[in-house]
Amino acid sequence: MKPKRRKLTTFGTAFAPPAAEDHPLRIVDFHAWRLKEPDSGRRYSVVRLRAQGGATGYGEGGPSLAAEIAAARTAVMNRRATESEYVRASLAGLPALEAAVSNAMLDLASRAKEMPIYRYLGGPVRYKARLLAHLEGKTAAEARPSLERAKRQGFQLFTTAAPVRDAMIPLRAYVDQVRQHLTDMQALAGAGAEWVLDGHGAMTPGDAATLAVALEPLHPVWFDEPTGVITQDALAKIVDESVMPIGLGRAITGLDAFQGLLANGSVNVVRPDLGRNSLTKIKRVAAIAETHYVAIAPFHDGGPIGALAGIHLNAALLNAYAQQIPVPSSDRDAAMRAEITSGLRESGTKGFFALVNRPGLGFEVNEKALDAYSEERI
Amino acid sequence: MKRRQLLTALAGAGAWSAASGQRRVLSSPLQDCGCGFQVATARDVPPGETAFRDVISNLRVTNIQTVGVTLDPRIAQADRPYVFVKVETNQGVVGWGEATLEGKAASAMACVADLKDLIVGCDPMQVEHLYQLMYIGSFYRGGPVLGSAISGIDQALWDIRGKVMNMPVYEMLGGPVDPRGVRGYYHADVWTLAQTRELRDKTKAAGVTALKFQLPDLLEWVETNAKIKRAVAHLEMLREGLGPDLDFAVDFHARPSPTVAAILLREVEPLQMLFAEEICPPENVRAMARAVRHSTTPIATGERLIASYGCSELIDMDVIDILQPDINHVGGITALWKVSAAAEASGIRMAPHACEGPIGGIASLHVDAAGPNFLAQEICGSVDAGEKNRVWEDLMGFPAMRMVDGRYPLPTRPGLGVDVNEAALKRYPFQGTKPFVMAFQEDGAVGSI
Repeated sequence: MKPKRRKLTTFGTAFAPPAAEDHPLRIVDFHAWRLKEPDSGRRYSVVRLRAQGGATGYGEGGPSLAAEIAAARTAVMNRRATESEYVRASLAGLPALEAAVSNAMLDLASRAKEMPIYRYLGGPVRYKARLLAHLEGKTAAEARPSLERAKRQGFQLFTTAAPVRDAMIPLRAYVDQVRQHLTDMQALAGAGAEWVLDGHGAMTPGDAATLAVALEPLHPVWFDEPTGVITQDALAKIVDESVMPIGLGRAITGLDAFQGLLANGSVNVVRPDLGRNSLTKIKRVAAIAETHYVAIAPFHDGGPIGALAGIHLNAALLNAYAQQIPVPSSDRDAAMRAEITSGLRESGTKGFFALVNRPGLGFEVNEKALDAYSEERI
Repeated sequence: MKRRQLLTALAGAGAWSAASGQRRVLSSPLQDCGCGFQVATARDVPPGETAFRDVISNLRVTNIQTVGVTLDPRIAQADRPYVFVKVETNQGVVGWGEATLEGKAASAMACVADLKDLIVGCDPMQVEHLYQLMYIGSFYRGGPVLGSAISGIDQALWDIRGKVMNMPVYEMLGGPVDPRGVRGYYHADVWTLAQTRELRDKTKAAGVTALKFQLPDLLEWVETNAKIKRAVAHLEMLREGLGPDLDFAVDFHARPSPTVAAILLREVEPLQMLFAEEICPPENVRAMARAVRHSTTPIATGERLIASYGCSELIDMDVIDILQPDINHVGGITALWKVSAAAEASGIRMAPHACEGPIGGIASLHVDAAGPNFLAQEICGSVDAGEKNRVWEDLMGFPAMRMVDGRYPLPTRPGLGVDVNEAALKRYPFQGTKPFVMAFQEDGAVGSI
């Protein structure tokens, strides 16, 4: 079936057309890869931009259709790599590409200025960034390979998925089931491990509220995406009943929606998805969250370029708490991720990633690996 | 018409007041901003000389000076050299106040100097008018530098008023509510149960009824199970060691976010603390409100707030149980009393912050003594009198801010009731501003301390 082209949001009156004159940062070349990890099937897009002056930059976004990539290319060609606000507006209807293109521009501009992205974004507020391992697997047994890899890679903070409630299970039994799961995971990871409970947006607000109160004594660092019903009244059921920190935002791309959650006190950790929000856009979300003393920990279930870009953002934001990184169970997936980053590992020491003081993303993207793992090069 | 001529003409046109039809006095024929028209009259008519001529006393402020006092950093925190303010009058009556501002001593001194031109020539008995002159007349209202400068001058003006009227300030404010004095608490720092029990015995022997502690760690925007457990265990140890009949408060010092504060407050509720102080940073009142809604532990805050306006949202939104403005920052006696009045009407008690020098502490006692909603007065001291207390006695001529049977005795002499030993001040010369102590998280990020 022919993919349906989404309509681009245009702001014709707000942004002038591309400057006609030559400029070293004028984008003259646009390439994209649609990638898929061999075992997990995790998908994401990578965009490479080349500027007139020769500098290149890479950015990652969530999965995209070929037609969307073509539309994004049309929108950004001949723009300067500094025009991230133009991209935020013109690609608002294509959030995965807004992220990929804007981040590629940031990488390009930072490389052109010979500085790391975090310095371009305002400078490091920390010298290392806390990592959050996004484990694969729904049960403790299934999650074990991913957990073991994450521990070897120096992670100390992990997410675990709460079991999904079967309609036949009484609420009390379900609460016990989730509590047991969290306890099992804590036992599996051992002392020093800290946990985020991931609700995957699958619970009703009422169930989530009951669970939040019941799990308070276990002190998960936060309860992520407890419900998919992100309305003020629904979320009030949870936050009015419990002191459990609530993480929300992986499905949100609008700044106004984040602002609403913050203004209503519905969220304790904002979680914009790196696959659908650019670093510069998330920086705006973080600025709003900061005035509410709310932490930001971008969600990420994409590739290594996005994850390591997230580290740069984390380094530049005072209220950034952790950068989520998917940790594969499969060796093949892990190898693919390492190949793409030319060997720079998504790993740390004692829970933190030490910042790299090299231009742009801080590593050379391996285009051979992109080609090798690409479903399609556009 | 040339540009310069046009501007001159416009300035002349603006010199006519539309409301009164009278010509205003402009300090300059050329104004580059509309603000100039609005303040011209006030600037050019000092209240002590003309407008209030028939209704004020013959007393006039003749000079204002600041005296910086730096104590040895081994006995007093280096970031807060004392900024004392001396106001002199044409009849020889002198008043003292304190404008100490942690980490910004030179700024506070400079601001006092800036305000001097507003006050010299005025009648110090017009303390409310002069407070408004400094607060409203500064245009940019509030902020800790202006607040501290106003505080120092205001305290000194009240000192003069009391001396002229031959009564302690608290009597002028309608007190004392309790002639036995003002309940206080000391700071304490213990890490083991044995230390806590030893502290309990010492505190009881001294007749002191309350102590204040801090949390054991810096905290981040969200927190781990390990750090929350450590904080809770520390406070549980305090309650166990102190026993059920000693009050203790815990200063969170705005280290936690509202998210983390809510968890801690929930966990420590059974400890029945005197209060939890500055549970999160002070700028966002609604965020603080959300943090406290799950707990009945009394919530205190206010040391960083300036003027009664700075406290009004906290009071109106019913977020807190106890207000803690600092008399050296909030705007002196005038502002602290106003905050106290607003708090009383909303069932909020007062426990003023004081962690600077002795003059501000003593000035606070006067407002405390006149407030029916007063709870307890802080001072940065411990049960055991230390070297700092010896210096304070040297400066003030008596053991300033030391409790007797759990209370600070009320001064009995006029004004603030102190005689500052100016010769002693010279023994502790000002060594310049030192920055506020900083703290950093594990990853190097700036922490809230």
